[in-house]
Amino acid sequence: MTAVTDQDHTERADQPGDADKAGAAENPPSKASGNASGTACGNASPNASEGESVDDARAHARVPDGDSSSRRDPRADPRTDSRTDPRTDSSGTWDDGLIARRVDETTGGNQYAVMDSRTAAPPTVSPLVYDGPLRSRLEALRELVGLSRTRLDSRTLAEAGRVLDEASARRRLSGQHTVVAIAGATGSGKSQLFNALAGVAISETGVRRPTTAAPIACSWSDGAASLIERLGIPPRLRRRPLPTGDGDSQLRGLVLIDLPDHDSAAVQHREHVDRILALVDAVIWVVDPEKYADAVLHERYLRPMAAHAEIMFVVLNQIDRLPGEAAEQVLDDLRRLLDEDGIALGEYGEPGTTVLALSGLTGDGVGELREALGQFVAERAAPARRISADVDIAAARLWPVYATQRRTGLSEQAREEFADRLADAVGATAAGEAAERAWLRNANRACGTPWLRLWRWYQDRGEPTTGRLPSRTQADEEATARQRVEQAVRTVADRASAGLPTPWAQAVREAAVRGSQGLPEALDELSVRAGVPTGRPPRPGWWPMAVLVQASMTILQFLGGLWLLGQIVGVMSPNLGVPVLLMVIGIVGGPLIEWGCRMAARGPARRYGLEAERRLREAAAGCGRARVLDPVAAELLRYREVREQYGRVVGAGS
Amino acid sequence: MLQNSPKVGHSSHVVTLDVRPQLLNALSALRDRVAAARFPLPLAGAPRARASRDELLAQLDDYLVPRLRDPEAPLLAVVGGSTGAGKSTLVNSLVGRRVSEAGVLRPTTRTPVLVCHPEDHHWFSGMRVLPDLTRVWVAQQDPTDDLLLPGENPARVLRVETAETLPPGLALLDAPDIDSLVSDNRVLAAELICAADIWIMVTTAARYADAVPWHMLRTAKEYDVTLVTVLDRVPHQVVAEVSRQYGALLTKAGLGQVPRFTVPELPESAWGGGLLPASAVAQLRTWLVHQVQDPAARQQVMARTAHGVLDSLKSRMPELAGAAAAQYAAALRLTAAVDGAYDSEHTRVRGRLQAGAVLAGDALKRWRAFPLDCTAGELLDALVESLSTLLLCAVTAADERIDDAWRREPAAAAPGLADREPAAESAEHRIGLAVRRWRRELEEYAEDEVRELDRNLAPDPELVAALVATSLLGGRRGRMAGEGLAERIGAHGALRLRDRAGRLLAEHVDRVLHVERERRLAPLDALDVHPEPQAELIAALSVLQKER
Repeated sequence: MTAVTDQDHTERADQPGDADKAGAAENPPSKASGNASGTACGNASPNASEGESVDDARAHARVPDGDSSSRRDPRADPRTDSRTDPRTDSSGTWDDGLIARRVDETTGGNQYAVMDSRTAAPPTVSPLVYDGPLRSRLEALRELVGLSRTRLDSRTLAEAGRVLDEASARRRLSGQHTVVAIAGATGSGKSQLFNALAGVAISETGVRRPTTAAPIACSWSDGAASLIERLGIPPRLRRRPLPTGDGDSQLRGLVLIDLPDHDSAAVQHREHVDRILALVDAVIWVVDPEKYADAVLHERYLRPMAAHAEIMFVVLNQIDRLPGEAAEQVLDDLRRLLDEDGIALGEYGEPGTTVLALSGLTGDGVGELREALGQFVAERAAPARRISADVDIAAARLWPVYATQRRTGLSEQAREEFADRLADAVGATAAGEAAERAWLRNANRACGTPWLRLWRWYQDRGEPTTGRLPSRTQADEEATARQRVEQAVRTVADRASAGLPTPWAQAVREAAVRGSQGLPEALDELSVRAGVPTGRPPRPGWWPMAVLVQASMTILQFLGGLWLLGQIVGVMSPNLGVPVLLMVIGIVGGPLIEWGCRMAARGPARRYGLEAERRLREAAAGCGRARVLDPVAAELLRYREVREQYGRVVGAGS
Repeated sequence: MLQNSPKVGHSSHVVTLDVRPQLLNALSALRDRVAAARFPLPLAGAPRARASRDELLAQLDDYLVPRLRDPEAPLLAVVGGSTGAGKSTLVNSLVGRRVSEAGVLRPTTRTPVLVCHPEDHHWFSGMRVLPDLTRVWVAQQDPTDDLLLPGENPARVLRVETAETLPPGLALLDAPDIDSLVSDNRVLAAELICAADIWIMVTTAARYADAVPWHMLRTAKEYDVTLVTVLDRVPHQVVAEVSRQYGALLTKAGLGQVPRFTVPELPESAWGGGLLPASAVAQLRTWLVHQVQDPAARQQVMARTAHGVLDSLKSRMPELAGAAAAQYAAALRLTAAVDGAYDSEHTRVRGRLQAGAVLAGDALKRWRAFPLDCTAGELLDALVESLSTLLLCAVTAADERIDDAWRREPAAAAPGLADREPAAESAEHRIGLAVRRWRRELEEYAEDEVRELDRNLAPDPELVAALVATSLLGGRRGRMAGEGLAERIGAHGALRLRDRAGRLLAEHVDRVLHVERERRLAPLDALDVHPEPQAELIAALSVLQKER
């Protein structure tokens, strides 16, 4: 607070006293400057007696919050401990005596606050109630986390888990209060604004940077103790505002938190800020004309919090330092920067961040902020909005692990291709063709002319045997092509997981690989069972007929031959025509019949082959479906379920 | 050169000419090494290494090399600080004229402004210092912007102004904010500050505890440069207080010796963009003029900063070298993952081939039906197809293992490595080609063998080829084929043919896997990560150390 004006003359009188006391606690005198006056007059005159200040402290300082006063230990009771509380004196950051006296001197009604806390009705803390859509979104998020816990690593889900935890923690606490944090850079005037809103110099202001080291809470009404507890602010840093009738009712339900800076070299301040910003219901960002464009503010805080625009106020403080219309210019520039950060500005009645210009020093614009804040608090919508925005952010962060670029699932075509590949692996096509040809061969052999069969038999005797004859009987080990099965599984897993987010694709692939273990062995076994039965293929009914006709043709040849022979020998009367005719019929008819049979056998042979192929193929496909496709489909279904939940988490928000 | 430490002495000939050429050579060699260093793999330390490489390069180009080359060049004092610290106002006030635009809107200074005496203009108009920045000259009356040519990067421009009021031998540079919202500006600010002989760090009563300026101060301390801090815009009521606190902070940080100047906040200071009265900046001005005009002081200022930067190389170069080594180690790990996956797949393929895995499924059924119900051509087709599936399976499995291993490596996220186009089809195509070529060559071998038989009952070459392939690929199951082959073309011929075909097969399989491995490694090779930069950086540093 580099205040140059010398206002607040009325406050002057009491300042030296507190400055003195603060000075005793290793603080420079100017640190504990007054309410709205940053004027540091280092000439402290010890005019305030110790006893006086302690008495006042007893009266007002450290007023506990309504509901917690009953269960807190006696040490916390202001009536017994103000005098001896060592923390108050040693903390060095804040002087209880000051507040008490100031309250005393400015209003004289210090009893009011005490009465207020004493006479307050038994704490009627009604917990926060989320509206329907938000509740269902939270429910969906919980489901989502539960469903995907086994698939995603815990780090990915941590943010969502945290949001859920915070949502339920906040829900148990008061719904009538709105916790608003004042955040900003060092020297932007956070504490000044805090004090201006509270009406008392609760938080220490000063020129020493950084000034505020620990967050301070100030509650405008009772029942907020557990809320403040949640922020980890110790009781000695909880205050009550100056009870003026008007402001009190306007801001009823407000719990204001003064945060340390976020940009000083003191790292623990930043940690405080980061921790508390995640827990409060709303934030007032205080910027000043010097620092409003700081990269650390925009890049570290405002941009990531753009989704929380509705629960943010951005306040340009210290406009008294700007001449003339410069304040308006700076405010416009600030709006532009916020817009570039992606923060929706609450202009023209649209929901969004409220941007105000004020001066904590002169009080310009503080009224407006108070009004806006009062309205904001009265709506009581901030906690739900905050949680809703948190859910938005968590959902957006989870987007890459749930969202798909295209339609997913196992297409019919992919399933068929998988079956085809498995059929190849067991050799269904080749087996079918072999069966067909064997059948045809048998038919030819059966229906061929006896001469042909005789010749073949002779040929077979002379022919060296190939490997087929002895090996046909032995059972094959590893008859299934392993590499084809592996490739088929990999291809179908790739197809199924195409377009899925990485963890889910991984899960699908794992399901497929797990299913494929033992698949080749199962296919081995199955190809033995469903394979072509060894031994002779079945014979159709017309074969004996064909054989009979073929035999009769041969008999005709013999008959004709004998007849001719008889004529030559002279046993029979010479008659060339009939025996020659008979022989010709026999000679021509035999091959004719054979040809006809071959034609006729083609159809059944084909059917036989196809049947053999189909048996193998179906068995293989069934095996593959049960072992690989079904687990994969189950995994996809699970993903789809999760995706639906995710849609519910996101969808209701938009 | 610069042999005398600033504390020991400051004769006017601290910079001696005789050693300078060697030192300059060593320095420019070092500069080239730094410029050649690349950190393409996205490791944890890579962005930092890249930034410090750029920074070092900029400092060498902008400051150290020109300074050592021309020790008589004017001293450059760069005014740096946070947004709204009043840098421009300070420069304007020191000059006594509005040379740099000041205002209430942040960031104010988008184009750095260099002010020097007209006589010194030639030092800065050329590309001697800050060679990366385009120079612009503007009429003195035109204080507003829009001086950029279209298409010019506004951040990479330097405006050069001259002012009679500045003493000759001193140039002031108004840098952009070190914590600007525009990240280009931040980088430029750091670069400009690193180019200075005198660092003037400006902070304000509201900012003196901010983290960002303190980073800058710590850097200044690390480099042991000539540093001045200005506590600007201090309301007069709190001057003593704030100044004391700031002094305490500086002392705590080990910067207690740094000259400190306090400029009060005056109504005319920043918001109006006006000039501060000369009295407000008189102290600082006097100090600066003294540094320039007193030869001893000037020498000390110059030597101290130059020494500081040279000394800082001792820690910065090993840092870069370490980052380069980390890059190489990561590249090695990636390569090892690829090699390991392909090696183990290669072993597996060999084992499967030996076990006769190719003669399974379709091929086995064909073989069972051979020769009665299946032709030699069909058998060969089935074998070839089965073999290419085996190879494709091995390649995809290797790829999968590599993907798995790379997923755990942060370096594998490098562009070109991560977004590998799905090449399964083309791999299938390549493998198919290779296997078909093997089949053709096998058939040629078979024809040769059959032709040598020179008999009437010579068997069909295709049949021979099929039998050879079966006996090669069939493992135990294919033994029958070998016997059949021996019966047909004689035991000797069969053995010879089988050996030749076996060698051919091994060759083809090796080539296929090798080609696929090379394809997988190609993007990594293209990144050009070598072990040399590490050694070269260290070597350049030690040469420089020797020359000093």
